[in-house]
Amino acid sequence: MVAVANEEALAYDEDIMDDVEESDSEDDSGEEAQAKPSDKAIYNKEAILEKLEDIAWPKNVDWMHKLTIEHDQGEKIDVNDDLARELAFYTQALDGTRQAFEKLQSMKVRFLRPTDYYAEMVKTDAHMHKIKGRLLSEKKRIEEAEERRKARESRKKAKEVQAEKKKERAKQKKEQIESVKKWRKQRQQGGFTKGNDDVPDLNFEGEEGFKQSKKKRPGVSPGDRSGGLAKRGKEGKNRRARDSKFGHGGRKGLKKQNTAETTNDFRSFNQGG
Amino acid sequence: MAKKRKRTDAPAEAAGAEKPDDSASARPERTLFGFKDPASDAEPAASAGDGAAVAPFRNREKVLITCSRRITYRYRHLMQDVLSLLPHAKKDSKVESKQSKGSALNELLELRSCSSCLFFECRKQKDLYLWMVKSPGGPSVKFLVNAVHTMEELKLTGNHLKGSRPLLTFSTNFDEQPHWKLVKEMITQIFATPKDHRKAKPFHDHVFAFSIVDGHVWFRNYQISVPHNEIDKVDKGGLDKMTLIEVGPRFCLNPIKIFGGSFGGPTWYENPYYISPNQIRALEKRQKAGKYAKKVKAKVRRKMHEMENTLEPDEFAELWKGE
Repeated sequence: MVAVANEEALAYDEDIMDDVEESDSEDDSGEEAQAKPSDKAIYNKEAILEKLEDIAWPKNVDWMHKLTIEHDQGEKIDVNDDLARELAFYTQALDGTRQAFEKLQSMKVRFLRPTDYYAEMVKTDAHMHKIKGRLLSEKKRIEEAEERRKARESRKKAKEVQAEKKKERAKQKKEQIESVKKWRKQRQQGGFTKGNDDVPDLNFEGEEGFKQSKKKRPGVSPGDRSGGLAKRGKEGKNRRARDSKFGHGGRKGLKKQNTAETTNDFRSFNQGG
Repeated sequence: MAKKRKRTDAPAEAAGAEKPDDSASARPERTLFGFKDPASDAEPAASAGDGAAVAPFRNREKVLITCSRRITYRYRHLMQDVLSLLPHAKKDSKVESKQSKGSALNELLELRSCSSCLFFECRKQKDLYLWMVKSPGGPSVKFLVNAVHTMEELKLTGNHLKGSRPLLTFSTNFDEQPHWKLVKEMITQIFATPKDHRKAKPFHDHVFAFSIVDGHVWFRNYQISVPHNEIDKVDKGGLDKMTLIEVGPRFCLNPIKIFGGSFGGPTWYENPYYISPNQIRALEKRQKAGKYAKKVKAKVRRKMHEMENTLEPDEFAELWKGE
């Protein structure tokens, strides 16, 4: 008994599943064309045609009253392809408008809006302003994104160039040291007797490798060991201000040493007695 | 109209022949265009008498636009957009959507002396139905409205004059079947602004596109932008430079039924492919419910399987029990 009931339930379930599978091919926009048509649908063609005759305007009515244009869409359009569908509508409208304008031109009627004709529009000015704002902001957004992309690329490139330069410098330095060593060896072999004529041409001025990059700069306090470089760093304004007030880095000794003034200054001695 | 024709005819006849009859001696009545000949006056008047049957066609379409109660803002905006596109439309207050709405609406149509109606019916705060009705003799078409975009949307950047007459473009598959023919005729009558309507502007700067794709009528509204210096002629090569900018709104109509009368009458057409959104939702729900059903099914199957193939008793089961 139970098994029979189960079987019935199963059959019912299968029915449901079939229904569901059928409905899979449909989406919200009503794609029921794929489903099979119901065969008991009414279609009374004669009555429809009769009614059509009844309500239709007279056959010889002037085209100016109707302004209708037919357009052949050609092959079938895929509804789900939004772009193709919209393009089909657009071409239909465009083609129709061209035909209509040719007709209107041949009729010699005034049909184009003069440039100085102002009248109420379908969309208000405020609304059009909004649309314009949106267009502008979209344009701006795209431009900004473009700019960001460019900046990123240029940064990448700069990094590469920097790395290349560093490598070059290291290589140069190595070469210089090598040449000095060689020269020293030569001198040792020669027993330090030879004159200065075979000194390698180390032009210390021009070469970058030997140049002291951390050269002391004017305006740097003598106590500052970093030669003022520390102050160029990335740290914040507050840090810098506090460093200049309380001191940071550099030799402490110089600050604590007596100078001529401090030795002659007796203010801090206890004078009372 | 007939009067004007009479007057223009007059000088031609007068110049044609000086008829030596009794009326020639009397001074003819003077009009703006010359002297009016009383003899020739009688003849066009007679022709006007039998010409009344073929009076020039004049489109006196008036469209009533209204909606049901409890419509959502989006659909209401769509209705207002349609209203702003049709200068020959009148708006009325919301109508209670119940069984007797047809008679109420018919009464309203008569009261407002409208010849057609667009009734936006919103159900369950979700589904929008559009009734396109010719009054008083019918027919009426009921559509389900899908894929609604209102003019409010900022992506639609076009704009055009309010009340300028639209050009209507139809795809050719409207002429393939009788019911589409009927729909086309109704759309033409309802959406074409009558010529010389007092609110219409005399220029054409937008175009409606109606096309049938996949059994649905898709609506688009584009602004026409074309280079021109004169008002009756496009610049040379301007037709090739013409571009369209979409103004909106967008919607897609799925025909459900065509009735013989206005808001009722015998059913003449039923869309065989139509599935109501309620059914679709129910199916979706059942799909979700299917998850549990599947589990139950699997459980049952497993049980059956176990019952059919029972394990043999393990001969070593007792092996370690003794120790």
